[in-house]
Amino acid sequence: MSVENESLVPSFVVFQVGHRRLAMPRDVVAELIASPVMFSFPHTTTLITGVTLRRGRIVPILDLGPGLLGAPSPEARFFLVVERRASKFTERCAIPVQGECELVPGNMLPAGSETDFVTGRIDLNGEQIDVVDLEKAIAASARMEEGASQPEEALP
Amino acid sequence: MTQPVHANVSPIDARPREQVAVFSIGDFRFVISAASVQEIRSTDSLGGTVVDLDRVVLRKVRHIVERESRAYYVVSGCDHFHLPLSRPSTVLILRKAPVAVLVDKIEEMAEMRVLLELPKSFIGEERVWYRGLTVLERNVLPVANPLGFLTATDLQQLEEQNPGLLHCTGGARNARGPA
Repeated sequence: MSVENESLVPSFVVFQVGHRRLAMPRDVVAELIASPVMFSFPHTTTLITGVTLRRGRIVPILDLGPGLLGAPSPEARFFLVVERRASKFTERCAIPVQGECELVPGNMLPAGSETDFVTGRIDLNGEQIDVVDLEKAIAASARMEEGASQPEEALP
Repeated sequence: MTQPVHANVSPIDARPREQVAVFSIGDFRFVISAASVQEIRSTDSLGGTVVDLDRVVLRKVRHIVERESRAYYVVSGCDHFHLPLSRPSTVLILRKAPVAVLVDKIEEMAEMRVLLELPKSFIGEERVWYRGLTVLERNVLPVANPLGFLTATDLQQLEEQNPGLLHCTGGARNARGPA
């Protein structure tokens, strides 16, 4: 394959949240950082577990566990810094992940999952890995988290 | 040979500086501009008179304190930031708002050299609570917005439900003696 053709092949970053292996398009991922110093302060935004300081910028840490796993992510040593492209803003966020990540070239196949944040899948040595839309995963996680924090109806 | 005027002189740090007070509530530390604080008092030495509100419309505001012929709504810092109950021993009397904030203690006075924007992923009440974030001694701390303890809407609501109470002076109804 020529260099020109190689650059046309999309690539994905494969990462693990809890037990689940997932992928995101490479252009969304900025870097993988290990054991950053986390800072926390009072706030009311769901999913944000703290912030870290990266090259003079404040990077919020978002736990996507509620949407991706149905529960908060297990404690993580690695954080994937991703470019969040929301409808009204773009900014870098860090997502706690388990273990290291892998850069995988390949074409995206149609999604095999009904989950709305899965936009497709890639084949990695026979393993089918869901490709995640970051904004939809954040929205799904926020819905799960807000649902979980709603007080149960009082018993009569 | 004439030396350049600034030879051997380290470059001047032109970043804006702001004197701040670092205060704590529970396990958290916050920063507030010293210029926005008129007075820092111990709750024991505040003096003046504490008046119960006729109608509590905000959980975080239950009293008014009168001090030197001015009255201030007393805002519980832990209720404001939705923190577990703590033991406030200090009151920050603000300059540009009729607000006295109960905090656990003043940790230190410091110089703030950087004010970073709160990331846009934060979409809750914290956007009103904080002016931004700062870095002090390698710690990221939120910078409290002095006008965020009670917004204009909060103040209007308090006044509507407790008409004229803020402007009453000493010996008012429900007075409970020195704070």
